[in-house]
Amino acid sequence: MIALVLALTLAQYTPQESQALFVEGNDAYYKGDYAGAKERYEKLLQAGFGGPDVLFNLGTTHLAAGELGPAILYLERAHRLSDDDDIGANLAVARQRQVDQVVGEEGSVPFTQRLAEATDERIVGIAFLIVWWLGFALLWFTARSSSRVVLGLITALFLVVGAGLGGTLAVHEWVQDTVIEAVVMPEAAKVREYPGETAKVSFEVHAGLKLRIMETSGRYVRVRLPNALEGWTEKEGLVSL
Amino acid sequence: MQADREKVGTEDTFRLEIVVANAPESSVLQLPVAEDFEVLGRSQSTQMSYSLGPGGAGVITQVQKHTLTMRANRTGHLTIPAAAVQTASKLYKTRPVSIEVVRGRLAPDRTVRRQPPTNPFGFPGGLPPGFGGMDDDGDPLGGQPRLDDEPAVPRGDSDLFLRMSLDKSEAYVGEQVMVNIHLYSRVDLSSVDTVTAPKLDGFLSLDFKTPSQLTSEQRLIGGVPYREYLLRQRAVFPLKAGTVTIEAPEADITTGIFYAGRRVHRKGNESKLVVRPLPPGPSTTLVGRWRLSREVSQTEVALGEPVQVKFIFEGRGNLQTIPMPALGAPAAFKVFDPETNDQAKNTRTHVGGTRVIEFTLVPQQTGTFVLPALSVPYFDPEGRKYEDLRVDEITITVKPGVGGATAGPNLSATTGLDGPKNQLIAGGLKSLRHTARFSAPRAALTTRPWFLPLAVAPFAFTLLAGAFFFARGALGSESAESIKQKQARAARKRLAAAEKLLSKGSTPEFYAEVERALTSFMSARLGTPVSGLARGELVTRLTEAGIAEADRARIIAVLETCDMGRYAPGMGEAAARRRTMTEAAAAMEGWS
Repeated sequence: MIALVLALTLAQYTPQESQALFVEGNDAYYKGDYAGAKERYEKLLQAGFGGPDVLFNLGTTHLAAGELGPAILYLERAHRLSDDDDIGANLAVARQRQVDQVVGEEGSVPFTQRLAEATDERIVGIAFLIVWWLGFALLWFTARSSSRVVLGLITALFLVVGAGLGGTLAVHEWVQDTVIEAVVMPEAAKVREYPGETAKVSFEVHAGLKLRIMETSGRYVRVRLPNALEGWTEKEGLVSL
Repeated sequence: MQADREKVGTEDTFRLEIVVANAPESSVLQLPVAEDFEVLGRSQSTQMSYSLGPGGAGVITQVQKHTLTMRANRTGHLTIPAAAVQTASKLYKTRPVSIEVVRGRLAPDRTVRRQPPTNPFGFPGGLPPGFGGMDDDGDPLGGQPRLDDEPAVPRGDSDLFLRMSLDKSEAYVGEQVMVNIHLYSRVDLSSVDTVTAPKLDGFLSLDFKTPSQLTSEQRLIGGVPYREYLLRQRAVFPLKAGTVTIEAPEADITTGIFYAGRRVHRKGNESKLVVRPLPPGPSTTLVGRWRLSREVSQTEVALGEPVQVKFIFEGRGNLQTIPMPALGAPAAFKVFDPETNDQAKNTRTHVGGTRVIEFTLVPQQTGTFVLPALSVPYFDPEGRKYEDLRVDEITITVKPGVGGATAGPNLSATTGLDGPKNQLIAGGLKSLRHTARFSAPRAALTTRPWFLPLAVAPFAFTLLAGAFFFARGALGSESAESIKQKQARAARKRLAAAEKLLSKGSTPEFYAEVERALTSFMSARLGTPVSGLARGELVTRLTEAGIAEADRARIIAVLETCDMGRYAPGMGEAAARRRTMTEAAAAMEGWS
């Protein structure tokens, strides 16, 4: 117990301590002490003990406490790391409780973004390195071989696939740099026609709505909803995914 | 002669007492007359006492006390002239009284000077409600001190005036403040036609008392008797913090009796109220003094049978601010919208009552379920602290009802099918993970420092190698050995070309190709052309080159086989060709 308290103070946990802290968070949740549960899960995240399980529990705790913004934020983060059905189910519950309903045709998602969503950056990166190296190794053998036709075709195939994987990786990089999604944290946030307090309020968004940050100007950001509705809101009310 | 105060304001009244002892019956008291002062009232009392004097003779002493209620007309150091008593033989005079008069009202001083006996005539029943000290309504939750403020008498309308008073000058947001509108009169009243109450913006206002008939109580203000009529009494609850000015009320009054009445308009005074925000604490809008209880119609219930759960808030304060309690019913219960019933019950000084919030629950599953304990915070402005209303948890046991597992054998099958079922419904939140696999936040692969060099390396190596070989080929001078090796490789390739003719090409072509390959190979290795040499000369060259005798013999044998193969029949067979091919390759490899 003393070791646990010391570890909590120093915020450096052994795997056993982190597991114990995780279980303590669960116990607090089941006793209805949502604040205590959140505190423990957040300590784990701060100490680098993240992952879909911690994020799922933290998001679910926020959801049980009626805090829709953080609930959707953490569940979305968990969803990005895992395709687990439970994460999707609680995320669906959270979205049902959202105040906002985005009405109208959703703007078509660009191919690059869909490609990035459909592929795993890590797998693509590793596959690219393997195929790329194999391609050049075969190129070397082909250059020294007497029967070059078959080997040359295989080499070309490897190099083309490698280039494709490299391109996919570049798309991931581009999407990561340019497509920034965020979740609305406060109960309500005003979205204005242009950045500034005097600007006319176009509409309001509410906790839990996921939107895309397009650009920043001072303490305002231009946001775009899935149906292409746009406006400026204060960035302190948004947390990026 | 003496005044009860040495310093007064122009809005204040003060008392001047003149005491005359044993004055003869024929004596005449001459009261002081001064333009600087106005006499608002006058009273007189006589006290007689009997005592034994020296020698045992009885002595009767008569003391007359004359009390004048006065008000100064201007500021400055003023003097009340001496009073005098004129007897048949002599004129007795008092000393003049000096008094300092300032503008306005010295209210704090007045409250200090005021004493309970300011009701000098023993007003029965104490001071009227609204001007007394502590709450006297027997409220079980306790009373609250009122602001004891004697209304100021307006200079122009001292006979008939309207006054608004608050029972406190400071209040918290949501705390009850009583607004009283009184009419004070020293003339006969026929009716109060209209009363315009002030706008109470920023307040939630509840009517507390609106008398339907004019009834008055006697009231002394600055020693002057008035009839006090209560016109309106409203309980207000400030909604936001700050200093709020409540506008003056107005009233139209008909004075006089019967048809000799005269209609007059009076405007009262404004009042200020300092509204303080609730101190830091739990988030609540409930202010006052409250009790909370919870009642459940039954704790053992059959499946599908409704259960009523009542939350009963009781106390004083604004019923409308009572929050909807979180029932926290388990998912096994279907919960219907609650019904709310209010029953107002005002005390003499506070609004309040009872609010009953009733939930109807219908169990959908069998088992034992707990309605969790509940805590509702509220702020008690009298105690200036937050309190918690708590109810304990309640366990409800739901058993299978008619048609369920305990259905008796006499029940028909139809009844059994129609009975309430133990509904096992999926839904709600998915439960938490019980164990975790931790992972640090993952950085993108492309951001790792080794990624870019690793990705570029094969391309760079290939470029470098290509450049090297190109440079060597273009710029470097070939050595004799390298030329030999190159030619030897070319010879091997030629042999490989001959291999293609193994099955398809004509016999002479095949053997010619093998011979060319071997000849080329030897030319490359010996560094001199050997084609066209006679066999003997060739053997000499090979011997000079240090080729072993066995290898020489093998080469010569292959060359002769090739000669034969081009012209002799039977050499075109596949087996013969393959054998020659193998021997040629062995000869080359043996040389290498």
